[in-house]
Amino acid sequence: MTNNWKEAPSINRSAVLERWMAAGLGLFPERMTPGSPAGEALADAMATLVDHFAEDGEERREGLERLTRIFAVQSMPPSKSLSLFGTLGDILAGFVAGSGEREAMRRHLERLTLEAFDCFMENRERIYRLKVEESRSQMHMLLRRAVS
Amino acid sequence: MSKYAPKKNQLTREFLEKPSPLKGDYADREWWEMPVEFRDGNWCHSAKPEVLKEIGFANPRKWAAPDEDWQLPEGWEKTIHDGLKERLKKFRSLKLYLDACVRCGACADKCHFFLGTGDPKNMPVIRAELLRSVYRNDFPMVEKILKGFSGSRKLTKEVIKEWHMYFYQCTECRRCSVFCPLGIDTAEITMVARELLNLIGVNNNWILAPVANCNRTGNHLGIEPHTFVQNIESLVDDIEDLTGVKVNPTFNRKGAEVLFITPSGDVFGDPGVYTMMGYMLLFEHIGLDYTISTYASEGGNFGLFTTNDMMKKLNAKMYHEAERLKVKWMLGGECGHMWRVVHQYMNTMNGPADFLEEPVSPVTGTKFTNARATKMVHIAEFTADLIHNGKLKLDPRRNDHLRTTFHDSCNVARGMGMFEEPRYILNSVCNSFNEMPEDTIRERTFCCGSGSGINAEEFMEMRMRGGFPRANAVRSVRKSHRVNSLVTICAIDRATLPSLMRYWNPGVTVYGLHELVGNALVMQGEKKRTEDLRENPMAGTEEGDDAE
Repeated sequence: MTNNWKEAPSINRSAVLERWMAAGLGLFPERMTPGSPAGEALADAMATLVDHFAEDGEERREGLERLTRIFAVQSMPPSKSLSLFGTLGDILAGFVAGSGEREAMRRHLERLTLEAFDCFMENRERIYRLKVEESRSQMHMLLRRAVS
Repeated sequence: MSKYAPKKNQLTREFLEKPSPLKGDYADREWWEMPVEFRDGNWCHSAKPEVLKEIGFANPRKWAAPDEDWQLPEGWEKTIHDGLKERLKKFRSLKLYLDACVRCGACADKCHFFLGTGDPKNMPVIRAELLRSVYRNDFPMVEKILKGFSGSRKLTKEVIKEWHMYFYQCTECRRCSVFCPLGIDTAEITMVARELLNLIGVNNNWILAPVANCNRTGNHLGIEPHTFVQNIESLVDDIEDLTGVKVNPTFNRKGAEVLFITPSGDVFGDPGVYTMMGYMLLFEHIGLDYTISTYASEGGNFGLFTTNDMMKKLNAKMYHEAERLKVKWMLGGECGHMWRVVHQYMNTMNGPADFLEEPVSPVTGTKFTNARATKMVHIAEFTADLIHNGKLKLDPRRNDHLRTTFHDSCNVARGMGMFEEPRYILNSVCNSFNEMPEDTIRERTFCCGSGSGINAEEFMEMRMRGGFPRANAVRSVRKSHRVNSLVTICAIDRATLPSLMRYWNPGVTVYGLHELVGNALVMQGEKKRTEDLRENPMAGTEEGDDAE
């Protein structure tokens, strides 16, 4: 237990990551194993997020990007993917003493979740852009001739 | 939004209420009881009726995978049963593969689709069981008697849906076969399953539309001969603008020494066209006496992903043109599955090509004895030999703006065992080449996730999942060596890896090997080179520095 919510993830890093990772793998409709490339990438992104949980910098953004990139091509809806942040809040709440600190952490997590939603949607939009770009690449010479 | 996209309440039901293996709901059930669900991003459009009519394929109709009724033809069960019986007789390898598996599971975690999706039916052993379970039900006598105990099941419409789902989530890359202690090639099982599905009109438009195009015009893109020539001539103009050198390809010229055949993507698509420019610069550099056919205008062969007979038919034009044009031998461009067809099937399918000679490099005198049977040489072997004999004037500094890694194309690596030649070339034409982790290259290479005709746009999400292991390996060298260029020798890779990289590794660009050769070649009479073939500035030339 700590009286500072910002310290909770780093003090309890391995316990937080273990439980959060189990929840993350549990979101996949099919069985995803921790040692698989997708499982490892998930673990890596989650570790980055936990390590930079209270910061507002590039690393945290990078962690969010990578986490949501994995989920944005899975068959589950955004609400299911982003429920992972609610789970993180539940896990961290067990390590934070004092209702004021817990409330501050909850507000921080809300911001984080909304930021994650932005990242998720950017990745979805990227998928649609890729479809358009691929069509254009296939017709490269035709389009080139049409333009000239 | 697609009409097939699930509604909100459907999603709620699906994800919160439906049974899941993670909740133990299938713990005591057979693997085949796991449901098959088609949703946006995990299925490809079916072939258009007019496409099927054009090539005389079965059951032309409008349908889509999420439809409840797939409108299978009358007597479809018998068609599949008879089709399997015929193929068991025809392909001894199939019978061997169906009988020999001991379910050891060595292949289980080797498939990129299993690693990317976690779906157990994407384990190669289970994928093969999709067909094997029906085979056991209907064929071997002992197992017919032991029905219910031998993992056998009856052929139903649900089984057909399952086949369609999972045999089109296999890219026939053969990575699993590398790890199988019995040498079972699951790709061949996938090939036969796809043949069977085509007998009843269960298919994929991304494969059959190119097949119909190739059947009609000689290439997958359906380019008419005059357009084919115009495109190449347009690239000739680009080369002259960039280098000051006029290259001189010829078309359908009788009596040329070499017939050059490459995938049509090299003539039409981005970034394939830059590889084509590289080939032409190379041929000009060495004064090769070559011609290009506007009829055999496709190296690739989507027949491989369709039926054995269609593969044979589409391949036949190569030898036909070689004979008509009276060339001595054939040279093939960078492609993946083209080389599986050429290397493993062409000679016995459409050969022997007695009218051709054993290929000999006119520049070095090297005999390509490995191509004695097929009479067709891979461009990477040809170029590596030229470099080895000091016949090319190269300036690798011209590729200093690229920090490269190399993706072994599945069919070239595992289908014909070529590992060293492309690396030798790459090390000769650029100064920064970094290998990806050992278990992701050479014979263990991970597939692009979009091969074997599943590089459809509507399949993008599944492609991103299937390609994830390859992207992950690229990411590791991007991190450790600041790699920004993924070099490959396959036209499908060149078409699909750009999307995979843009999604998982933004900042990594995909190149054909001979594009880099074209950048590095010091041509006689060239003007000062400041831009690569994509018109990007070469390193050190932005401020007027001399690259040479």
